[in-house]
Amino acid sequence: MTTATSTDFHDKSGSTLKEWIFTTDHKRVGVLYLVGAIAAFIVAGIMALGIRLEQMSPGESGLINYFVLDFAKTMPTGTAYNVALYFHGAAMILAFLIPALTGFAANYLVPLMIGAPDVAFPRINALSLWLFWAGILVALMTFFVTDKPDIMWTGYPPYSVTTTANTALYVFTVHLIGFSSILGAVNFLVTIIYMRAPGMGWDQMNIFVWTTFAAFMIQIVFVPVLASAVTLLLFDKYMGTGFFDPTRGGDVLLYQNLFWFYSHPAVYVIFLPAVGLLFDIIATQARNHVFNYKACVYGGIIGILAITGEVWIHHLYIAGMPDWLRIGMMVSTLLISVPVGLLLISLWGTMYKGAIHYNVSMWYAVVCLFLILVGGLTGIPLAITSMTVHLSETSFVHAHFHFIMGLMATFAVFSAVYHWFPKITGRSADSAIAKWALWIKVIGTQVTFWPLFIIGVQGMPRRYWDYAMFPQFETYHTIATAGAFLIAIGVILMVGGWVWSAFYGPKTDSNPWKSKSIEWTHAESPPGPGNFPKPVAVDPYWTPYNYIEWDHDKY
Amino acid sequence: MQQHVALDVAGHGHSSADHAGGHHWEVSWAPMAISFGTMFLVPLTFVFALVYKMPLVAILCAGIGTPLVLAGIARWVHEGATQPSAISNVSPVGVGVFIIGEIFIFLGLFASYWMMRLSAGDAWPPPGTPHIGTTLPIIMTFILVGSSITYHKAEELYEHGDKKGFLTWVVISMVLGAAFLGCTIYEYSHLIHQNFTPATNQFSAAFYSLTGFHGSHVIVGLACFLFVIIGALRGGLHKMFVKVAGIYWHFVDVVWFFVASQVYFW
Amino acid sequence: MLKRFETLITAGAAYLLMAGIAVAGTPHAAAPGGIKNPAHEWNIVWEEILWDLWIVGGIFAIVAIWLLVKFRAKSPDQVGSAPPLNLDKALAWALVPAALFMADDFLLAAKGWSLWNLQRTVPANAMEVKVTGNQWYFEYDYGNGVTDTDLTVPVGRPVVLRMTSNDVIHSFGLTEYRVKEDIMPGRITHIWFYPDKPVETAVVCVEFCGNSHSQMTNAVKAVPQADFDAWMAKKLEKKKPAAAAQPAAPAAAEPAKTQTP
Ligand code: HEA
Ligand code: HEA
Ligand code: CUA
Ligand SMILES: [Cu+2]
Repeated sequence: MTTATSTDFHDKSGSTLKEWIFTTDHKRVGVLYLVGAIAAFIVAGIMALGIRLEQMSPGESGLINYFVLDFAKTMPTGTAYNVALYFHGAAMILAFLIPALTGFAANYLVPLMIGAPDVAFPRINALSLWLFWAGILVALMTFFVTDKPDIMWTGYPPYSVTTTANTALYVFTVHLIGFSSILGAVNFLVTIIYMRAPGMGWDQMNIFVWTTFAAFMIQIVFVPVLASAVTLLLFDKYMGTGFFDPTRGGDVLLYQNLFWFYSHPAVYVIFLPAVGLLFDIIATQARNHVFNYKACVYGGIIGILAITGEVWIHHLYIAGMPDWLRIGMMVSTLLISVPVGLLLISLWGTMYKGAIHYNVSMWYAVVCLFLILVGGLTGIPLAITSMTVHLSETSFVHAHFHFIMGLMATFAVFSAVYHWFPKITGRSADSAIAKWALWIKVIGTQVTFWPLFIIGVQGMPRRYWDYAMFPQFETYHTIATAGAFLIAIGVILMVGGWVWSAFYGPKTDSNPWKSKSIEWTHAESPPGPGNFPKPVAVDPYWTPYNYIEWDHDKY
Repeated sequence: MQQHVALDVAGHGHSSADHAGGHHWEVSWAPMAISFGTMFLVPLTFVFALVYKMPLVAILCAGIGTPLVLAGIARWVHEGATQPSAISNVSPVGVGVFIIGEIFIFLGLFASYWMMRLSAGDAWPPPGTPHIGTTLPIIMTFILVGSSITYHKAEELYEHGDKKGFLTWVVISMVLGAAFLGCTIYEYSHLIHQNFTPATNQFSAAFYSLTGFHGSHVIVGLACFLFVIIGALRGGLHKMFVKVAGIYWHFVDVVWFFVASQVYFW
Repeated sequence: MLKRFETLITAGAAYLLMAGIAVAGTPHAAAPGGIKNPAHEWNIVWEEILWDLWIVGGIFAIVAIWLLVKFRAKSPDQVGSAPPLNLDKALAWALVPAALFMADDFLLAAKGWSLWNLQRTVPANAMEVKVTGNQWYFEYDYGNGVTDTDLTVPVGRPVVLRMTSNDVIHSFGLTEYRVKEDIMPGRITHIWFYPDKPVETAVVCVEFCGNSHSQMTNAVKAVPQADFDAWMAKKLEKKKPAAAAQPAAPAAAEPAKTQTP
């Protein structure tokens, strides 16, 4: 097995800074994606702290203005809150989570896992990266213009058209990051189809590769529709067209339909790779094979892919949709629990008769198992029309998606960073501080988001900075705010730990988990340009999870 | 029992230097230049021109963006012709995937158009719509289909190594494409003269979005042809690039059938 | 081969069982004469769904904990020893759970849908009030010239609201009555609720509509019929003293229409 050391392989000539900034190497592109995504996470997280502070008491505290850099308080508190919430939602989804999963994780891992030297179109890959960064920069302009966008990440017209705020920044952020995703899809679909190591069949791919494949199938079909929706928004606001203006024959619900036609599938662009990461981490740490691989792939992943396009109406249950649309979409939304359930059975089964080695990344994954249950199952009442007429637009919805997305998928990203840290840096990030950071965050998140379930069922509306009509919720909001600051401490410890470990962490060998997956068995840590000292090929019985040998005649 | 591990290819003979990617970090400044150039050229120019009404800053942004994008593309094409790629012959598949994405953008726009159109019932075209002739779009259709055929011819000659013939037919395709754009410009100016602007009514909004968006694709296609010609003249034109430009152009052609039939003849 | 049949049969049986429960569990139609209060029904269905979710989640959680404890590695070099699944087992592990999940989904869908029918079937004797949303207040029109910015309704009579907006999208959220629906320019939407006891609550605007979105609220007063009549009489008097003799109660709404866009 390959255990080449880094010195005999790298060409160290040339300036390193230039090699990083102008890189077209998928690993470095991946790392630069991660840097951008974490930066977005921190800024959006700081907005969340502002939101929580403002919501701590029913009336106005006015602190939120400082968070959006409005020190002179030229904006009303309500507007400042809306700006912060707009940035929080948009940046967390578009600039943090999707890029962290389909940018960082996909870039770093997919070529290594399938034994390819790079992605199919490395320059297009770099183009994706920098379009994403351009999107972040445009989004950050929010803080430096006077007419800060206040339209929420959903950007519903007519408000987004009639507001005096700068809707264009939102539209262009979506355009840039969306175009980046489309190019990412071009790259990864081609890479996965054509660049698998000789001999590697579809059923021999890591689950994460499968989920990335599925996620990009979703992106290539649905992102363009979002792009067209926000483009029409731009025309309506700045060119005087009336696509969404009912007084001129337009339709206010058209935008919502187009928006959710993308943005529901987008949740599986997040969910699938996140679960894919969990599969690979848990299989590795349990030194076990994936339970019922085919059911997981063809039932779970492909199943989600098949249903995801037919459920978007569940975001429009209270928007006066006709009944025939509701009942079909309600049933199909509920039926998503079937493929998701199959995924979970495979995930749970991967631990069965395994040998689970606990370390910090495994602990993150363990936490995710429970977060999936809470976040996923609370989607079920939301899927039921008659329940949603009460629950919709309350903080119950917040709690639902923060559990599944803000916590589960986010923790999956963190878990992945720890798990592949030795691969990326050659050093370990596992330390007492890392574990402290985890458990502080676990406590913080539970303290933050369970109260939101409770007051959500009692009617706490979304996007409310002033809830004078519900003074009884103040205690819950205060508790939630305290939790958010706990999370912040955890995040600081974790990110600080990463940076420290990247330079000073204990060195590891090239396969510390004794994994069977190609990125560990065939590449050094960190891998050099071209990834593998020698080209990789696999035999027909190889799988990334073959910790024990089977009698292949029997199975 | 036999150990099933990923094998190293037995007796791989080539030296590390000619193995794809080589053993040094690949760099290119082209993607970054194009990305940030695009950022200046589109979002910033738009925001300063139409949101903040600061034409000078807008022109400045366009002035920064345009050369960045052009230099980036030129560099990219140059590198594409001179540097080995990680895997060859998959570019057409890549464009294919990209075209799927494009189809869905058009579908989003068409869906909006259909919704408005169908909910308007008989009140269509809405008041304020001048007579829009169907002769011009028919001519335009012939021009565009013609250009697809001429480009196909060019590709054939390229296969046979007839560089001069190839160049001739690419130029003819370009001229046809430019003629198509000319028709659009003529039509637009004519209509705007009759106060039919995007803001006039629902139909004008859809009309300009659909034909405009299609027109922007024609421009991109023409730009591809331009780089094909430059590449051919300078030598080192990649076969795949010829093919990719062709696939894209045929796609633009096919989309036109939908645009024309929905917008002009429905 | 036989085994594969067993799998299918087990899956089918599980499915039929759950479908049966679904049918049996469907709430029955309202007792003749009485009005079923959708808000109460909501609470009941909610409780049932919560049970369902706690059971499903509980099973998964307990199994997870068992797996995590039971299969922790005993030595640093230990590897897993799970045997591969043969085709029958693989199929069974896919089809049986899928059937169970599906059956649960249909159960929930059936329960939810019958409540939805109740929520959308406006009782014939409902009092109609027109609601108009503005940035940032609601306006109520009782159809007899009386308008107000608080909503006052008599106890014991269903109320149907026909709603539209003058500017952006709002949403009419009645926490107490467990309903809400968006209010949109260019469309008319409706909800109905049943004030069965005198209580003053608030309506909240729950669709984001700008700066004062969170302050777009007003009182919703359910008052005894006598108080309501008195209130209405006073309103009418103030409005146009000459017309005070007009009947106070607004006309009953026509039976529920389907969505009028
Ligand atoms: C990663 C992101 C993510 C994921 C994976 C999901 C997953 C799901 N979501 Fe969620 N959702 C969001 C992110 C996500 N959601 C966001 C961001 C919003 C708000 C957007 C906004 O308005 O701003 C939202 C809002 C939202 C709504 C709209 C609420 C409203 O605004 O009124 C609905 C309604 O149906 C819904 C439902 C679901 C369902 C049914 C699932 C299912 O996929 C869940 C499936 C999982 C399980 C069911 C659990 C595991 C399965 C089992 C244990 C098997 C057995 C289970 C059963 C048989 C029930 N979600
Ligand atoms: C991935 C998605 C994601 C993530 C991770 C989060 C994370 C968090 N969210 Fe967010 N949230 C959304 C997606 C997400 N959210 C979306 C989509 C909405 C809806 C928006 C809308 O309605 O339109 C929303 C809305 C939303 C609301 C609703 C407000 C309202 O409707 O009125 C609230 C309120 O509590 C909230 C809170 C939080 C908190 C406390 C966190 C915390 O977990 C955040 C933790 C992070 C930090 C605290 C940052 C720590 C860093 C520092 C302190 C700096 C340190 C510096 C260095 C290390 C250099 N979120
Ligand atoms: Cu009106 Cu929110
Ligand atoms: Cu959804």
